[in-house]
Formats: sequence, structure tokens, C-alpha cells
Amino acid sequence: MYRIGYLIQKEFRQILREKAFIGLIFGMPFIQIVILGFAVSTDVRHVSIAFLDRDHSRFSRKIADAFSVTESFTGRGALTSERQAKELIDSGVIQAAVVIPPGFERDLLSGREPALQMLIDGVDGNSAGIALAYASQIVARLQQEAAAEARGGPPSPGAAAPVTLAPRMWYNPELESRYNIVPGIIGILVTMITAFLTGMAIVREKEIGTLEQLMVTPIKKHELILGKVIPFAVVGFMLMNVGIAAAGLLFGLWMEGSLFSLYLMSLLFMLSTLGLGIFASTMARTQQQAMFVTWFFSIFALLLSGFFIPIENMPKIIQAVTVINPLRYFMVAIREIYLKGTPVLYLWKEALFMLLFGLTVIIAASLRFRKRIA
Amino acid sequence: MDRPIEIKALSKSYGDTLAVDRVSITVDKGEIYGLIGPDGAGKTTVIRTLVSLLVPDSGEALFMGRTVSAYPGFVRSHIGYMPQRFSLYRDLSVEENLHFFGDLFQIPRDRQRRRMDELYAFSRLQPFRTRLAGALSGGMKQKLALSCMLMHQPEVIVLDEPTFGVDPVSRSEFWGMLAALSRDGTSVFVSTAYMDEADLCHRIGLIHHGRILAQGTPDGLIAGFPWPLYRIDCENPHHVYTILSSTLPPDQLQLFGSGVYVVDRGKNGLRSLQRTLRTAKIACRGISSADATLENLFLELIR
Repeated sequence: MYRIGYLIQKEFRQILREKAFIGLIFGMPFIQIVILGFAVSTDVRHVSIAFLDRDHSRFSRKIADAFSVTESFTGRGALTSERQAKELIDSGVIQAAVVIPPGFERDLLSGREPALQMLIDGVDGNSAGIALAYASQIVARLQQEAAAEARGGPPSPGAAAPVTLAPRMWYNPELESRYNIVPGIIGILVTMITAFLTGMAIVREKEIGTLEQLMVTPIKKHELILGKVIPFAVVGFMLMNVGIAAAGLLFGLWMEGSLFSLYLMSLLFMLSTLGLGIFASTMARTQQQAMFVTWFFSIFALLLSGFFIPIENMPKIIQAVTVINPLRYFMVAIREIYLKGTPVLYLWKEALFMLLFGLTVIIAASLRFRKRIA
Repeated sequence: MDRPIEIKALSKSYGDTLAVDRVSITVDKGEIYGLIGPDGAGKTTVIRTLVSLLVPDSGEALFMGRTVSAYPGFVRSHIGYMPQRFSLYRDLSVEENLHFFGDLFQIPRDRQRRRMDELYAFSRLQPFRTRLAGALSGGMKQKLALSCMLMHQPEVIVLDEPTFGVDPVSRSEFWGMLAALSRDGTSVFVSTAYMDEADLCHRIGLIHHGRILAQGTPDGLIAGFPWPLYRIDCENPHHVYTILSSTLPPDQLQLFGSGVYVVDRGKNGLRSLQRTLRTAKIACRGISSADATLENLFLELIR
């Protein structure tokens, strides 16, 4: 049992001696959180929009003004023809155009339902969808105003008042996507560091021949594996703490829930990533191969985790695949703990899945890891 | 008293390739045994089986009288093993490397201290003890690797091509260390591709394509060379070799940097060879009867 201690001690000596490692542990979380926190945003802002006004009425001008005053859109002036609208969208000068048909105001005030055309550059489908939703909100608000005006003043008692929805967003009232992204980045950092470093550290010993030497010592297989895995789990926790500090200091985003809950969930999650590292090391002969194997699995885990694309938006069959993705559960857990302060008790399902999956991976990988050459 | 190493009719194949074919070797206490052969001859497979890293297809390896495949734990805690191209932890210092291996064998720190002093005296690495292993010269690295495997004072050590790529001076120092160990009663099993290292072993085995071709003391093997041998001393051995290949059977010719050797398998004598050279109009400085070397023997055996 003492031998694990010696292995861990040796591993830390090596980690601390490598300056690049220190940079990795402390620099990487800061840089990633700064850059991704600011850059990766699913909020749609400053969509360039232009107007083709064929009505030239008070109301059509009101529409143009309403679009221009929100943060979501930036008015780029008036258009003269649909052809021009198409050209400007093609050339990327504007991302959307609103076409107001002749007789718009008249139709609106007389209670008919005039059609408003919106042309959107759909290359980025997500942003286009969100921009369209914003546009609909703006138009709906104007429509209500118009309806009120048509009736002449405030609605009289007895008349059917239109129902308005007043949504209140909890946990993230401003709907800042950053608040969703930053905890996600912490989850990704933990995945990357623990899986990559574990795999590479084992394979490095294969490359330099020390693993073969270690095999011909009294050390047991499980001691060898634990001696490799524990140091990188510790590194993973250190990195996570740096990430937590960075999120707080840079974005003022401090955890709502308890640190203990997050640690517990992270520990369960790391079973899978450390297991992946061991697994990669059993398949690879060189560090590059180990990186490739780890990359192969982590890119799937990442894309199917709900970090970029909500799982509910995926096709049913892909949703079924995400069930065996431990990162999916960790994403839920870390966001819940971070933003809502959900106690561990309510995250038992995620915890159970991560535990089962982690144990399976780590046991399977350890069985593949042999103290013999062939 | 059980023999330190006893390998009996060991065979091992990888897929369709027979890597080791019925190899039998014994090593006595305090003996240096050299397994000599070119790359791919099966040296590493024999060694890995002996140190419990491979399981043989048939035959067995015994370590201190116990079957290796049945007692891998016993082997691993008592043998000293230095794998091929082994290069330590480059980012740990000399001292840290030694302590690490001492710790793995759970040697108390005070005993490690004493052992390290002995090993420093032996390897003369004392002045470099705080230097990182990666910053040592090739020869010093090999000495450190040897010291690491000696921390637990094994009675039997197994080294796979330990002097590969090491400069001649360090190589001779390294062999000096092995000789000193053997004088103290340690059994040494070492593989090498360098024929000139054979003389430094008590007994050797020549291995080729997984088979032991000959086994014995270096002198005994050489004395057993079966045919008269002549050496043609000439300017351009390459040229002479090419011309002679058309007159003499090519399996009687051995090309070396210092000249062309002729194995006189037909026992035709020196005169006959001189006649052949004259007819072929080959200019040379002289032809003389030569003593066989291990290389001559090896080339003759793999014929």
C-alpha cells in the first residue's frame, strides 16, 4: 500500500518539475474562461437589418424605429428593391431585411391581418431562429399598440383584452448565455485535463521503457493504476478550483450551491475520464496515439453533452446515444449546482449514472491494462 | 542449491512467426552469460519470458528453481531487470531515481542510504547525484540504470542490450561493473548484438532466428571452428570478394573490413587458394592461415 504513496510522490515531482504543466493547470482555466466566456454566446446581438418600405406610412416607420432601438438589431437604413435586399444579404452586408407591403397601415388599422415579410440569412440556423423570434416579439408588441389605437384609447370594460404573457426567468433573469457557458467550460476543462494527462503519463512510461521496468518490481497492477490516476485527479481538482475562481473574479459568477456537492459530483465524473485515460494508454504505443484516442472520445462526449446544443434539440436517436455520455450528466450537475444551488439529493440520478458508468469504464480499462507484455 | 536461471526447451511464437525455438540455457551462480545475436534473433523474447513479462508457448523458464509463469511475484521481487533502450525518469535527479526504485522494493531509507553510497563508489555517480537524469551522458545514464536495478541487491540480474548505442569507453566501464558484480556472486544474464563483448562473458550462446546455434565458453567455441581458415590481406576487400564469388562457392567467403576470409571447407590447402588468386589475377598483400573469431564462427553457423 505504501508503494502507491511512492508512485504518487514521484508523479508529483515530475508534474511540478515541468513548467508547462504549471502553466496548464493555472493558465489554461483563466484563458479559456476569459475567451470562451466572452466569445461563446448564444445571445443574438447586433443583427444588421435593413427595411424595404413600400407603405411609407406612420406605422411602417414605427416598425423600422422599433427594430433599431433594441440591442438585438442594428438598423442599416432603407432599401429600394427586393433585389437589393438579396444582394446585400448575399454579400453579407446585412443579415436580415424586413419588407413592408403597400397598404400595411391601412390593413392593420382596419382589422385585417397584413403580412410582413422577413428575409434572414439562414447560414447560422440557430442565430437566424433566435433573430426571428426577437423580430416576432417586436412586431407583436406593435400590433397590440395598433389594435389599441384602432379601438380608440384604452380597452373599454367588457371588450376582450388581448392576453399578454409576462415571463420571468429564474436563476438567470437576464438570459445571459454566459452564465450557462462558464460552468460548462469548467466541466470541459476537467474532462480534458484528467483524461489527456492520465493517458499520456502512462504511455510516456511505455515510450521511455520505465513501464516495463516497473512491471518487473513487486508493485501490484492496481497500485500502478492508482498511483497514476490519483495525482491527475488531484490536478483535476486544482484546475477546477482555478476555474471557479476565474469565473467569480472575471464574471462575478459565484457558485450558488455548496462546494462539497460540486466536489462530490466531480469525483464521480472523474471516474469516467480517468478510466478513459487508462483505456487510451492500453491502446496506444506513443503519446500521440494516446492523445488521438482520447480526442476521439472526448469530442463525442463534448458535442453530445448539451454544452453547445441542447439535448432536447437533437434527433431522438442521438438523444438515446447521449444517455451513455457521462459528460451529459456532469453538465447538468455543474449547471444546477452553480446556478440554482441544487442540493446533491436532487441530483441523485446524475450521480448514479456517473458512478455506474465510471466504474464500468475504470474496471474495463484496468482489465485491459496488463502487467504482461502480450 | 537451485540454479539461478534454467531455461528448458522454451518456444514462443507471435502469430505465425516462431520467435524462439526450443531454447535451453542455464546460468550458474556468479556467472556472466551472454546471449549474442543480431537484431530480431529472439533475444528480447527469451529475456521477457525469463522476467515474467511473457508466457511461453511450450517449455519453461525457472528462476531459483521456481517456474517463472507460476511464481511471477517471486521473480519480480527478487530479480534485477534492465529492459532494452531503458532510459529512466529524465525529469528526476540521479538520487530521486535511486530512491524511487529503492522505495518500490520497500527498502528502509537508512538502508537505501548505505546502498546508495556503495553504488556511488561503484558507479562514480556521486558528484552528479542532484543532476537530472536527462542531463547525464549516455554512459552515465546506463550506469544509473544499472544502479537503480541494484538498489534491492538482487542475486540475479538480467539486462537486455544494456550497451546499445553507448560509447566504447563507457561500454568498457559498464562491463567492468558487471565483472565486479559477478565476482561478488551475482549471476548476470546479458544480451548483446556486439560480438566483441563475448570475451567479457564466462559463457555465451549464439542465437539466430530463435535458435541457439552454439553454446559454451568463448574460447571453447572458437577452438571448435571446424575448418581451416585463411585471410586474404588486400587493399580493397570488397573488390576481391566480388571477383572471388565467381570462382569459389560464396558460402566459403566472409567479407570483413580487414580482408576476405576463406573457409576452406574442401580442405584444399593454402597452395590451392594461392593458385586460384593468381588465375583470377587478384593483387593482394598476402594470404595467411588465420585463427577464427566469434564472427567467423557465427557466419559459418548461420550459413
